[in-house]
Amino acid sequence: MTTMSDRSTVASEVTAAASPSNASRRAAKRVWFTRASPLVVIVALLVVWEVCVRVLGVPAYLLPPPSAIARRMVVDYRLLAVNAWVTLGEVLAGYALAIVVSIPLAAILAQFRVVENAVYPTLVASQTIPKVAIAPILVVWFGFGLTPKVLIAFLICFFPIVVDTMTGFRCVPREVIWLSRSMGASQWKTFVKIRIPAALPNIFAGLKVASTLAVVGAVVGEFIGADRGLGYQLIVANGLMDVQLSFAVLVSLSLLGIALYVAVDLLERLALPWHVSHRAGGAAPGADRS
Amino acid sequence: MSAALQFRGVGKVFETPTGSLRALSNIDFELRRGEFLSVLGPSGCGKSSLLALGTGLEFPTEGVVEVEGRRVDRPVTDVGIVFQTDVLLDWRTVLGNVLLQIEMRRLDVGRYEPRARELLRTVGLAGFERKRPYELSGGMRQRVSICRALVHDPHILFMDEPFGALDAITREQLVMELHRIWNETRKSVLFVTHDIGEAIFLADRVLVMTPRPGSVEEIVDVDLPRPRSVETRESPRFLALVAHVRSLFVQAGILQESR
Repeated sequence: MTTMSDRSTVASEVTAAASPSNASRRAAKRVWFTRASPLVVIVALLVVWEVCVRVLGVPAYLLPPPSAIARRMVVDYRLLAVNAWVTLGEVLAGYALAIVVSIPLAAILAQFRVVENAVYPTLVASQTIPKVAIAPILVVWFGFGLTPKVLIAFLICFFPIVVDTMTGFRCVPREVIWLSRSMGASQWKTFVKIRIPAALPNIFAGLKVASTLAVVGAVVGEFIGADRGLGYQLIVANGLMDVQLSFAVLVSLSLLGIALYVAVDLLERLALPWHVSHRAGGAAPGADRS
Repeated sequence: MSAALQFRGVGKVFETPTGSLRALSNIDFELRRGEFLSVLGPSGCGKSSLLALGTGLEFPTEGVVEVEGRRVDRPVTDVGIVFQTDVLLDWRTVLGNVLLQIEMRRLDVGRYEPRARELLRTVGLAGFERKRPYELSGGMRQRVSICRALVHDPHILFMDEPFGALDAITREQLVMELHRIWNETRKSVLFVTHDIGEAIFLADRVLVMTPRPGSVEEIVDVDLPRPRSVETRESPRFLALVAHVRSLFVQAGILQESR
């Protein structure tokens, strides 16, 4: 009988998972290796860097070894933290603004063809203007404070979120919409119950790309005109030919970007446990698609 | 008494950028109440258009479609639909997917939940209520989508090649299960398929379509006793019906004798 066989397959898979067989131990080892391998690559790169600098006798004012950069980060901990705090504020404000504007805009563009036809070409055209080129104008308009940095971070994050979110809202199969209409559901209900959750994986994809871009935006803003922030600190360090400090700032920026990305990724895992890309190994028990 | 579903002289032309495309012409038939009607035809004969017209998702270019005696001029909601793909929502549990039907209709979820669980039990999915669709096999997923189409007790069930994406064995299992469910509920079913055996096994009558533009070639009465079983497929009468339908396709030039 059909149902019996389905049940027994699942049951056997469950028992297999419960008993620590050789296969599952091997699988656990593989998972551990997958997790550790990126770390191995990073450590290896750092070691090669350190050794090259020392063996070839590269002067520290050109390229400091990783150990010196790490030491400098510890010594100048307060300086870096204070400036990172400023930059983080700009990044988060710009990023949040982009999210608040982009997602509803994408929803409207995806829902109404007329609006898309009218607005989308202008939107694309506006993206051909390099954000870096707008930055000085924004400084002229808004001064040296927080505003221009937030705006540049916003401008640079905005488009990827719009594009990915639109794709998400569009990815609902025609049959699902038919089904929803046959259930007598209103457009709004279809939107809330079906389109939004269906779009979430794409929205998160856009948010991840934008999270790294937001840091770029804030730093560009600080380059043009600022008296604090990691971007400002980088300009100062370069002016002093203090390459060690420059590298310390770069590492701080990178850590900031990574932290933001990881936060978004974590949020995605919490919000979308069903999402395909997070299934361990791609296959779940019984998902043989027979 | 009016039929559950009636097509009167229905034609459908789709306007495409490269010109107009006639999908259906002069379709006349009725789905009687409590009848299982199979619509059988080769790919591209407009079978799925029949379903779209019957559910009010599309409207005819010519003629009239009536459900329960009323002309269809908006999406028909007193129906259940099963598509070739299961179109389950990945973020909902199995039970949540079945109850979507109830939530979207603003019906009382608490009142329908026992019924949803009961339906899942009858298709052998008891214990899977809290699973997500990706944890199920293709056959199990399609069973869930059948439950979703039945949970609100609709008058008409539309099925558009519901087993087309499944492997042969799972397909036979589900045909048997659908037959059993239909025997118990006796709903009016419009079942679109391109499988001759499946069409005859399940149906009271088989509507055979010819392609391009789709039109009714013949409506074949299936006088096999019910309930039907695996042996039915080997009975002489069943085989004779299969041969008859196949000869219709040969006449229409869809199947060609090998030389």
